[in-house]
Amino acid sequence: MKLIKSIIRPNKVDEVKDALDKIGIAGMTVTEVRGHGKQKGHTAIYRGKEYNIGLLPKMQIEVVVADSLLDQAVTAIVIAAKTGEIGDGRVFVTPVERSYKIRTGEREAI
Amino acid sequence: MRDYYRTRVSRTGPFTAWALLVVIFLCGLAPALRAQQADPAGIALGDKSNAVDAGGTPFVVPEPTDKADPDYATKKKAFDDYQAQAAKEPLAVKLADTVGHVRIATNFGWTLNTGYLVLFMQAGFALLTCGLVRKKNAAHLMMLNFAAYVFAFLAYYVCGYAFQFGAVAINAAPAGLGGTPTLNSFLIGSGQWGFLGGKGFFLSGPGYDAGSNVLTLFQVVFMETAGYIIVGSICERINFWGFLLCELFVGALLYPIFGCWVWGGGWMSQLGSTMGMGHGYVDFAGSSVVHAVGGFCAMALAVVLGPRLGKYDANGKPRAFPAHNIVFVVTGTFILLFGWMGFNPGSTLAATDFRIGVVAINTNLAAVAGAATAIVLWYFMFGKPDISMGCNGMLAGLVAITAPCAFVGPNASVIIGVIAGVIVCLGVLFNERVLKVDDPCGAVSVHGYCGWFGAVALGIFADGTYGAGWNGVGATTYLGKAGQGVTGLLRGDTSQFLMQLGGATLCAVYAFAFTFVVFKIVNAIRPLRVSKEAELEGLDVPEFGMLAYPESGDEVSAAV
Repeated sequence: MKLIKSIIRPNKVDEVKDALDKIGIAGMTVTEVRGHGKQKGHTAIYRGKEYNIGLLPKMQIEVVVADSLLDQAVTAIVIAAKTGEIGDGRVFVTPVERSYKIRTGEREAI
Repeated sequence: MRDYYRTRVSRTGPFTAWALLVVIFLCGLAPALRAQQADPAGIALGDKSNAVDAGGTPFVVPEPTDKADPDYATKKKAFDDYQAQAAKEPLAVKLADTVGHVRIATNFGWTLNTGYLVLFMQAGFALLTCGLVRKKNAAHLMMLNFAAYVFAFLAYYVCGYAFQFGAVAINAAPAGLGGTPTLNSFLIGSGQWGFLGGKGFFLSGPGYDAGSNVLTLFQVVFMETAGYIIVGSICERINFWGFLLCELFVGALLYPIFGCWVWGGGWMSQLGSTMGMGHGYVDFAGSSVVHAVGGFCAMALAVVLGPRLGKYDANGKPRAFPAHNIVFVVTGTFILLFGWMGFNPGSTLAATDFRIGVVAINTNLAAVAGAATAIVLWYFMFGKPDISMGCNGMLAGLVAITAPCAFVGPNASVIIGVIAGVIVCLGVLFNERVLKVDDPCGAVSVHGYCGWFGAVALGIFADGTYGAGWNGVGATTYLGKAGQGVTGLLRGDTSQFLMQLGGATLCAVYAFAFTFVVFKIVNAIRPLRVSKEAELEGLDVPEFGMLAYPESGDEVSAAV
């Protein structure tokens, strides 16, 4: 079982969601986040004064998938979230030890 | 970091100040309650003497008293004819009584309703200034705007109205409201050299009068406008009790004194009669009396307070503190534009003065010209049109047209708006980069500089089609022409231009110097500024114990 944490452009959320739906991944958690990569944000202008916006708004999508689905899911996310420009985001994969359903208390085996 | 939710604001300073104010209040109130009333129900208001035709000729022909007058014989004959006719047609005279009453009623309705529009401008100012500051100070800004209305109103009621209009019947009785003949005493000065009004304290005695109170309502919302202007330049760092002191100062002294000089029949309005300076100092709806007074008061306070922490970096370069809600800013600006439709046309104090049509269109034209100029100019200077500067440009046009709106035509209004749009942009940059006066909302540039320019523009562009007999000058002929009104430099009245230039400059110096001296002293006794810690965290919780947007849950990250 793996946790895929992808940090993507806010306007790519729907496309990533659709792509994951297509390969049968149902549950996900979406969070508004802020951050920057190598470029450290960009400059904006307010009343004639330039200033740096260091932390840019991004969306974080977390899904937990079975090991067998991992490669397929990561590929789907990368294709859907890609524009080819700076600021497309990152995908991180980490192992998940256990998973429980709160309603029933039952331990899941994905 | 201190737990501001639990920290009490220190109370000794404010307590002493408030105790003093309550004592003053009670001392004044006791005699005021016993004073004679004037005409609170307006029963005696509006009769045949108020019936006039379209040209302003009264129905009633007055009896001539000056036998040395060369026209005495003609006037006496007209009077005798009227008397004979009136005796023959008593019904016509009765009808004229009703006509006169309805005329006053129409003007009451007009003046009150335009006053309500101006009142709504306070909502516009609140949204505009709140939107322009950082999120962490949003609740503080709303409270400043709210408290400004409340406390400045009380100050104006106690003594502001009396100082400003306590002598109004002497040189400047508003005829459209039945002349409000009840207030007629200068406290300082007399005749045409009045410096301070002296009747109507606590709106009692002669101040408790239907006609007079219509004027009070209309004027109190004007004073509030000056009171709101200062919020734009002192926000994000002033503490609450210091701010209340500023508002009491504006409502009780700063605005009423200058207002008396120009609108209350005071010495500046009479300089046309006494010194031959055009029609005296003319300011139709308050470019200088309201806006420049507010703007330069705001500038003095901003200098006393100093810039916000982090506004200038180590090299003295200004840094951007972006507006937290541009939606508020634009909405607020439109509410102000809407309210200005009361501010300028309402200043005729009479719907029976048909110049209101021209005034309304002039006001709008200057507003759009100012906004267009600021948008385009900023686009050329910085590559992008700035939304908040576009809004400032619209307000700049409105402020500048406020004094001349009744005396100029549509084309002059557009020119005035364009020039104001340039002034406001350069003024914002000048304040920020050269003077290093930190003015978060551009109040000094919009209201101070453009207010000054508006009063001067009247002296340049006034076209003589309106205002015959203004301030008692040239009722029959002016510049050798019958019915010639207030005339500017371009139509050949240099004295009016010089009067406007001198008067507007005096206004700026008066407002800045008076405020600076008073609040430099106050600041030395007890600082007007919040602690460094509170300023960095945001003023909402340290000052009022709550956040503007608590559900966003960013009590820490709000410090952006």
